[in-house]
Amino acid sequence: MGDSESESEAPKVKLRPIVRLGMFLISHSHLLSVVCCTAGVLTLLLLPLLAKNTYISENALMPGSANPMLSSQEVSEANGLVKDLTNLDLKPMASGIESQRLIAQYMSNLGAEVSFQKFYPQSNQFHPLHFFSSPDSATIRENISCSSFGLNTVGIIRAPRGDGKEAIVLVTPYNSEKIGLGEALSLGIAYSVFSLLTRVTWLAKDIIWVVADSKYGEYAAVDAWLRDYYIPVFSGLGTQYAEMCHGLEENTITERNMRDGFKRAGTMAAALVIKVVDRSEQFEDSLSIYAEASNGQMPNLDLINIVNYLAVHRQGLRIKVEKMWSLLNCKWLMILGEILESLGHLAKSLNPQWKFGIPAADYVEGTATLASSLYYQALGIPTGPHGAFRDYQVDAITLEISSRVSSNNKGRQNDFLLRGGRLIEGVIRSVNNLLEKFHQSFFLYLLTSPSKFLSVGVYMIAFALLVASLPMVAASLYAHANNLDPSFEKNKSNHPASAANELGITLRSWKWLYAAKKVLVVHLWGAVVLLLPYFICQIPNCTPTTSFVVWVLLSIFSLLILFWILGSPFYYVNASQPQQREWALLKSVTISAAFIGLCLMSVINFATAEIGALLMVPMCLMAHPLKLDVKSRKLRKFSRVACNLALGFIGFPPTAFLVFKGVFEGFDGISVSDFWNWLESIWAWSSATYLYIGMIHLPCWILCIHVILHPC
Amino acid sequence: MEGKEQSKKKESWYWNWLIGSVALRVILVYFSNNLNLASRPEISTPLTSLRRLAEGYWLKQSSMSPYAGSMYHGSPLLLSLLGPLTAKRIEGQPDHILCSLVFVIADVVSAMFIRATGRNLQIAYSQSLKFLDLVKLSEKSDILPSGDIAALVYLWNPFTIVACVGLSTSPVENLAIILSLYGACRRIAPLAAFGWVMATHLSLYPVILIIPMILLLGYGPDTPPRKLFLQKKYVEVGDTPSNDRCLQEEAVDQPELPYVFSWRPVIHFLFWTSLWLVYVLVLCGVSVKQYGGLWELFKRTYGFMLTVQDLSPNMGVLWYFFAEVFDFFRNFFLIVFHGNILFMILPLAIRLKHRPFFLAFVYIVISSMLKSYPSVGDSALYLGLLGLFVNELADMKFSFFLFCGYIGVSLLSPVMHNLWIWRGTGNANFYFATAMAYACLQIILVVESVSAMLNHDRKLRKLSATKVLDGKT
Repeated sequence: MGDSESESEAPKVKLRPIVRLGMFLISHSHLLSVVCCTAGVLTLLLLPLLAKNTYISENALMPGSANPMLSSQEVSEANGLVKDLTNLDLKPMASGIESQRLIAQYMSNLGAEVSFQKFYPQSNQFHPLHFFSSPDSATIRENISCSSFGLNTVGIIRAPRGDGKEAIVLVTPYNSEKIGLGEALSLGIAYSVFSLLTRVTWLAKDIIWVVADSKYGEYAAVDAWLRDYYIPVFSGLGTQYAEMCHGLEENTITERNMRDGFKRAGTMAAALVIKVVDRSEQFEDSLSIYAEASNGQMPNLDLINIVNYLAVHRQGLRIKVEKMWSLLNCKWLMILGEILESLGHLAKSLNPQWKFGIPAADYVEGTATLASSLYYQALGIPTGPHGAFRDYQVDAITLEISSRVSSNNKGRQNDFLLRGGRLIEGVIRSVNNLLEKFHQSFFLYLLTSPSKFLSVGVYMIAFALLVASLPMVAASLYAHANNLDPSFEKNKSNHPASAANELGITLRSWKWLYAAKKVLVVHLWGAVVLLLPYFICQIPNCTPTTSFVVWVLLSIFSLLILFWILGSPFYYVNASQPQQREWALLKSVTISAAFIGLCLMSVINFATAEIGALLMVPMCLMAHPLKLDVKSRKLRKFSRVACNLALGFIGFPPTAFLVFKGVFEGFDGISVSDFWNWLESIWAWSSATYLYIGMIHLPCWILCIHVILHPC
Repeated sequence: MEGKEQSKKKESWYWNWLIGSVALRVILVYFSNNLNLASRPEISTPLTSLRRLAEGYWLKQSSMSPYAGSMYHGSPLLLSLLGPLTAKRIEGQPDHILCSLVFVIADVVSAMFIRATGRNLQIAYSQSLKFLDLVKLSEKSDILPSGDIAALVYLWNPFTIVACVGLSTSPVENLAIILSLYGACRRIAPLAAFGWVMATHLSLYPVILIIPMILLLGYGPDTPPRKLFLQKKYVEVGDTPSNDRCLQEEAVDQPELPYVFSWRPVIHFLFWTSLWLVYVLVLCGVSVKQYGGLWELFKRTYGFMLTVQDLSPNMGVLWYFFAEVFDFFRNFFLIVFHGNILFMILPLAIRLKHRPFFLAFVYIVISSMLKSYPSVGDSALYLGLLGLFVNELADMKFSFFLFCGYIGVSLLSPVMHNLWIWRGTGNANFYFATAMAYACLQIILVVESVSAMLNHDRKLRKLSATKVLDGKT
């Protein structure tokens, strides 16, 4: 940023190469920034082309090397459980705890250790202060009502060959109040695998089967179990709650089991969440993989690879990952895909070694998958109960198997249970082979199809190109603002002895401090805006729209107050100085702040930073005072004005959200309350995206608007 | 009249900001449990962590050596001063609140000393400018009260605040260093000696400050190069009869002319240093008598610093290197790394001998860059001292770049640490990358500030030369 300043010093002396390079970059910053931005966007569009096929990186996994041992015997046992569960559901007077007791009975019949875990649902709360710390046992437990609690059933098989230090987790969420067929089937699959694993000799890691009570949400149940597993409460809170809620429970077997204490196995190597959904509209069984955890964290790619390999090559299931469906019918994407395909053909005809073309349909599909991958990572909300595991550095995915099974088709149900069970068995057998925790393959990647991925080294290029223009433009603006001072050139020509003029120069290099102060104040305001929803939520009976309006009003009010308190000295000081270049310095500091913020965010959550950069970089680069443009009546300047206004409109977070929502889902029925709801959801999940919007995006937008409307 | 009012206004402005910073600290201390700053590796190193000190105190209370195990590595004097405070809990208040308040006071006192030092330096600066007849420049130097600026920079620097709230003992160490520099600046030999002995005792690295302190005591505070004065004097002696005013001025300024090295304060200083040294050693000896004596103390404190035994990650560059290096090269590289600091002492001392205070600043930056367990508290000290040279370094290059760099690195470092330690998706290289960037920033800061200072000297020489020429014609 400061490289430019060497320009002013001794122009005749031959400068060092790095300084000359810096000067070159600064003098051509306009051209280079346009080139960089376009290259960044183009690379983003080319990403599906650059995706590589996945491969299993860890040799120890050896998926599919052993024949599946799951036989019809286990399946018939599982069928029994499924039938019992569905019958239980048909009984009208079944108490809530009945199903858990049934499952526990089945588990202990297999010889597993069974325990129950009681938990109280708690609402998600936003702790900005806990963002950088470990998961904390001292999370605020408030609003616990003793009558509403969930009960997880946990069964553990001790491995005959293990030392009890490691474990693999199976999770089957189900609603204990109303058990659907799909949930019963998922329990059946897990049970068949579980019963097989009690008999096998090769098991080296303990198996934990968590039957999570999803009465209050799947995530909450799994999260509660994990918290108890990893952060034992020795005294205080635990007993306190036990005492608080005592007297409500009958003294049953479950109660006695609960008193036995919480059962543990070793550290978790991997966790699989199994779900079955009933989708009768599909013709074949398929498997959807959900992997995104909080803040765009992903499990190790090897875990997805094993599942993918076994499902496709062994069980013949169709694998799906989430897609943006609206992109599939996009005209321009199709055209782009065709162009790229023909380019690929052309390249191939020139040199058969070059193989980068993919069919247009694949390209569109890859783009849709990539877009959804980016979107779900950027949201920072876990896509399933597997997200809870990632907070404890356990790799986990959700496998959602969709079937066409109906309860009266016995044969089909058996086949389904067999295939699902064998898939799970294979995955567990592979993970069982692991010597260390997953570390070989990637953690930072984006999927473009179940068997294609983009590693961090590739997708970072797109972001880096996009962002690279920011420091260049900031440096050039800074250099111009400093060098174009009229007093400076006079100084050189006049006799240098006059000390009064020296004064002007000496203060020159610190003039950016005023702009930095302004930027700092606006970023502080961003933090205030972030905290406001916490108070607005306390207002009872608030519709989303009114909340949003209150929020906006309070934000504007706080901005005015902040400027009144802290910002006023700024105008006072600057009144004496020429304001001509003030906006340039302000823009330079804004761009630097945006650069730092985006780089920071790309480390925390890449997808947010990428989407944010797409919105913010053009806005920051284009910002130019309207007054100057309008004064000179030229077409080029007017186009810049139009660009500025358009980018300023789209850069405002609510409008950006609504426009994107409109484009993807249609414009009818959109209102500002959608934005509030969306924001509330990412706020409740304490997603870093929320911090990004408030601390980086919004302040930069305000500053850009300030530059555009600058009275120079 | 108006000037007086203005200065009064400035005074109240300064006090407002000082009170504001104290209030901010107290608020943050109250929420210190939520902030959880004490566990950050950037703030509390094995040497400065108060948690370790509490552990050492506990061991001592149960009549074991405080250095048993590998928890505490600080001074036994600090242990007996702060230890009782760590054990005291006030119901309903955050832990260690008394210690935090001690640190807040230490920060405020440091700031006051910086301010007093700044005034001293400023007087010396304007005096020498007056002597060189560059009065216009000296008028300007009154516009920027460097002492006030430096004190406020020290107090409001996020690094200082975080180090103060984050339960690290670096505010106390910084106070000792500032005390010694203040004493040397005012030529109060006992105070300077006390500060230096305490600073060396607490964190060892300030031992190199003895060179700038002797220069400070011998020559007095920073001045332009001596050659200028000699030149000036020569010219004035050449045409004394023509100018009566000059003679008068010379007569006034003559006794204060700073180009003679006066040995008296230096001898005083050395005497007092030995006195304090013996005193501190005796105190330490008494307090660790039953735990292996002084030798054990040296091995556990200074030995721990110099041999880099704790390789847990921090802001410095040594932990990564010594985690990688083969054991049989270890001693060699230990010597190389510590020699790095020593190599730079002499050349810098020769080049900057006319500006001993600035020399001390440069030494502090270099040692905080290359020390074995650096923390943000060290950066807080040198960034505060940087404010003292606001007049001289007014046209420092890369100021904006450095500012952005410091902000970027200090935000990126915790994120990278989180990625490595808590999420498990990054690795040690991620965190070390920020440590290297930080070291680079410090190098740029040193290089640019030294070159800006030399440029300033050059400018003064040029101005005074033209003055002399003007006077002749």
